[in-house]
Amino acid sequence: MASLPPSPFDRDRRNRRTMVAMAMVGLSMLGLGFASVPLYRIFCEQTGFGGTTQRAQAGVTVREATGHQLSIRFDSNVQPGMPWQFHPEHPTQTVTVGAKSMAIFVAKNMSDRPVTGSASFNVTPTQAGAYFTKIQCFCFTQQTLQPGQEVRMPVLYYVDPKILDDPDNRDTQEITLSYTFYPVERDGKAS
Amino acid sequence: MKKVKSLVLAGLLAFAPALALNGPVFAQNETAAAPAAELATPVDADPRSSDPGAPADSADANVANAASAPVETVAAPPRMKPTEGIGMPRPGEITLQEQFTSTGHTARWLHDKMLLPLITIISVFVAILMVYVMIRYRRSANPVPSKTSHNTAIEVIWTVAPVLILLAVAVPSIGLLADQYKPAPKDALTVKVTGYQWYWGYEYPDNGIPEFVSNMLPEDKAKANGEPYLLAPDNRLILPVGRPIKLIITGADVIHSFAVPSLWVKMDAVPGRLNEKSFTIEKPGVYYGQCSELCGARHGFMPIAIEALPPAQFHQWVRSQGGTLKGAEAEKTAQAAPANTAQKI
Amino acid sequence: MTTITADHYDDHAHDHHDADHKPAFFQRWFMSTNHKDIGTLYLIFAIFAGVVGGAISGLMRVELREPGIQYLQTWANFQHSLLGVEPATLDQAYHLWNALITAHGLIMVFFMVMPAIIGGFGNWFVPIMIGAPDMAFPRMNNISFWLLVPAFLLLLGSAFVPGGTGYGAGTGWTVYAPLSTSGSAGPAVDMAILSLHISGASSILGAINFITTILNMRAPGMTLHKMPLFVWSVLVTAFLLLLALPVLAAAITMLLTDRNFGTTFYDAAGGGDPELYQHLFWFFGHPEVYIMILPGFGIVSQIISTFSRKPVFGYLGMAYAMVAIGVVGFVVWAHHMFTTGMSVNVKMYFTAATMVIAVPTGVKIFSWIATIWGGSISYKTPMVWALGFIFLFTVGGVTGVVLANGGVDDVLHDTYYVVAHFHYVLSLGAVFALFAGFYYWFPKMSGKMYNEFLGHLHFWVFFIGVNLLFFPMHFLGLSGMPRRYPDYPEAFAKWNGVATHGYEIMALGVLIFFVNIFWSLIAGRKAEGNPWGEGATTLEWTLSSPPPFHQFETLPVIEETAHH
Repeated sequence: MASLPPSPFDRDRRNRRTMVAMAMVGLSMLGLGFASVPLYRIFCEQTGFGGTTQRAQAGVTVREATGHQLSIRFDSNVQPGMPWQFHPEHPTQTVTVGAKSMAIFVAKNMSDRPVTGSASFNVTPTQAGAYFTKIQCFCFTQQTLQPGQEVRMPVLYYVDPKILDDPDNRDTQEITLSYTFYPVERDGKAS
Repeated sequence: MKKVKSLVLAGLLAFAPALALNGPVFAQNETAAAPAAELATPVDADPRSSDPGAPADSADANVANAASAPVETVAAPPRMKPTEGIGMPRPGEITLQEQFTSTGHTARWLHDKMLLPLITIISVFVAILMVYVMIRYRRSANPVPSKTSHNTAIEVIWTVAPVLILLAVAVPSIGLLADQYKPAPKDALTVKVTGYQWYWGYEYPDNGIPEFVSNMLPEDKAKANGEPYLLAPDNRLILPVGRPIKLIITGADVIHSFAVPSLWVKMDAVPGRLNEKSFTIEKPGVYYGQCSELCGARHGFMPIAIEALPPAQFHQWVRSQGGTLKGAEAEKTAQAAPANTAQKI
Repeated sequence: MTTITADHYDDHAHDHHDADHKPAFFQRWFMSTNHKDIGTLYLIFAIFAGVVGGAISGLMRVELREPGIQYLQTWANFQHSLLGVEPATLDQAYHLWNALITAHGLIMVFFMVMPAIIGGFGNWFVPIMIGAPDMAFPRMNNISFWLLVPAFLLLLGSAFVPGGTGYGAGTGWTVYAPLSTSGSAGPAVDMAILSLHISGASSILGAINFITTILNMRAPGMTLHKMPLFVWSVLVTAFLLLLALPVLAAAITMLLTDRNFGTTFYDAAGGGDPELYQHLFWFFGHPEVYIMILPGFGIVSQIISTFSRKPVFGYLGMAYAMVAIGVVGFVVWAHHMFTTGMSVNVKMYFTAATMVIAVPTGVKIFSWIATIWGGSISYKTPMVWALGFIFLFTVGGVTGVVLANGGVDDVLHDTYYVVAHFHYVLSLGAVFALFAGFYYWFPKMSGKMYNEFLGHLHFWVFFIGVNLLFFPMHFLGLSGMPRRYPDYPEAFAKWNGVATHGYEIMALGVLIFFVNIFWSLIAGRKAEGNPWGEGATTLEWTLSSPPPFHQFETLPVIEETAHH
């Protein structure tokens, strides 16, 4: 380390190099900040983090039903100000783990204009999210209801039998599936 | 007006079986709505449109709700008087509130018997060390400083010792977490809690009791009731004692947090997302709490009160609200009925 | 540890040497490229912002002195009369409360502690301590400072524009969505966010400057492992800034677009998630608390060593403990979100990871005590403040261990216990380090000695005041009093009253501080180059007080000495 002091010219060049490198670090962290939006979504979908449900294709074959029963509770919300009524046909359902089941939600447009809605959803307890698999759901797309129109919307789902092997879900006896409907403006953007 | 929702709901349910499920992704029913439809507005909209300064006018919603109940009229149990210092902070209190759930006991034990002594000992130990070196090594007592700047043995000790202490803390701490996350059994009472700007809404989906809201009592009414101002709402969340309870919690507008210190409950109410929290209350009583996530202007003025009743009285309350009891519940009530006639408290 | 060969740098008898040639006033202070002048500007700015932020906390404590709303309505009416609008409603008065807590937090974090400890002391002493003539990019340094001024003005200005229910941004310093998006109409929150953007840009530029300076501008022989610990602390801090602040910038940019351009990053209505904002915010926010405290660690290490006349005990352990704290600080963020409904495994992980931080922190505390052990202590004002720091930081640190337990946090989260905890580590930690550093380097910066008696008096009054102010908050929190409440039930009256008296005493202490500064600048004894004697071994004490305008025109050479 006892070398000669660097000449001012060398030092300036070195400084610039360091600055550019550090600026790149800063910029990549900025990029990471924005990239966290899709990354977070992918992470939630992969791991069921925060009670994110799984999604399967219609033709999915489920492992043979296990005989183990779980209660499924359905919860419905409408954003205040949205002129819809929305509720599950039955608040709870008892299902066999691994078997496909269907739940019906009923929505009705109480206003005198067409209203389009889209739903957000999650399940609790959150550690059950990774095993709650939806095959078909109204929440995958936007729904438009004409004035006064009432619809019955099915959700086709099953609980992955792997849940029985998960120690974190050992005590899970009831899974709650929750939906919240939000109005969507006509241009397709959420309000 | 909450009744309207249930009427409409009943109407819709009546339609349901007639609707075919086959065909498109969802079957549509374009017929005219149930008769009550035009009266119906989403229940949530009502309290919001009212004057923001005025909490819901009825100071005793139990009665209010019962009055409008369409079914048999059962009188609600009388509003329970809170016990001074129970389920609420005590004047000048310096420690945690008395607990009434099992996680509350475990957590309070962890804090009072483990963490608090530990941090006190560490702080006192550091203080004693400091006082000692400050006196022993003042310039007049020790004019020539030593040159020691390394001692591997001692450095290893003060790295390893905290690790061991933390491991000792981690074991009960992780146990407590597992305990808190133990999901409720299937027969738990499920109540839905919704946070609004700036009041709470409670709904009993299994008992068919639609959402009612809970606003803070103004100072004069709280005092007249013998309740602590800023903690007392008009309508309480009525829950049974000794039965597992599962709260499913969400927010309607911004994030709120449902918190009751004496039950060791704090769970955020996040819009567009449901959280759940399970616990079992051990003793009848009134347990107060306050919103614990900044939610706007009246964040400090949307208190929570849980009134825990013995099962029989809880069932009486459910029926007074026009609610129904599940098979098992009803049986229990029948057995408990004789005891039920005597009103306690 | 090291000595400096004094053969070719000049710290004396050069009154007419052009190293001390200063530019004209405007050039010198408004277009400054001199690290010491910029450091001075930062310190003046931080003191001003600290007075504003401290005055706001005074308003809060006065309102909280007893139950009931005493003054809030009057203040809100005053605010409204300034704007020429009709008197405030009760809700608008409540909103003013939220605007006050928000402003207090943002000002103290971004415009007081950070500018003082990094911008002020970092700029002044990092180049000198490593034997550099100036920072690597002097002009960028100037930009860093001057960006802070519009940022601060934007934040102050936001108090006078609509922000939802009332005037000003009432979202808390955390600016959680959706309260900060759909919950706060009006430009106030936009202005506060923009203010954070600008001050963040300022800090990122500063961080790049510090990293470059420390990596490239060290004098010959000044290896990384010979750098004073203050320089180490600034280096670690600069990396934390560089890694954390861009994430905040991204997070609040998305907040802005959610507010103004219809995006739904944090809005469940459009498939977003409000919790994502919290994750991003705390990914920045947790390192941020180390950004505020690490340079304080560095300052305290220098002072303890100086006044004990001993080299720092376990130098390498001290340096790498800071690196460890910085690294672990990036993987514990969700302990701020224990009540958001995370799954049990996530909560267990963040509980365990958070407790790990206690280990390197313990290493630092014990190493400071070991530094004093066997020393020859002189109780000058900076030493007294540094000793106060060690004890109070310990008290603040152990309550952090309590809060780290996810299960216990369920009841303490968002209560005054948390407020007490972070004020012990910041208001009594970072601020004590700031005062310690200020007294330590005041003779060097100003060329005048401060008044020793007033310095000690300031310490004792302030020490009693802040403890009286913040210690009862532990009781309030345990008993269940939530944060950010303008009014509270009768039961919390006692300790709130005590806390407000503590504030009054603390304010008296601050007054003594200002008397001391002015007295010293006007009538203080002239300071020698090294007023602290043989314990002061870092390079700044080899220069005159104040140092020449340009120091080290010939670089000093640092040589290894025999002992270690």
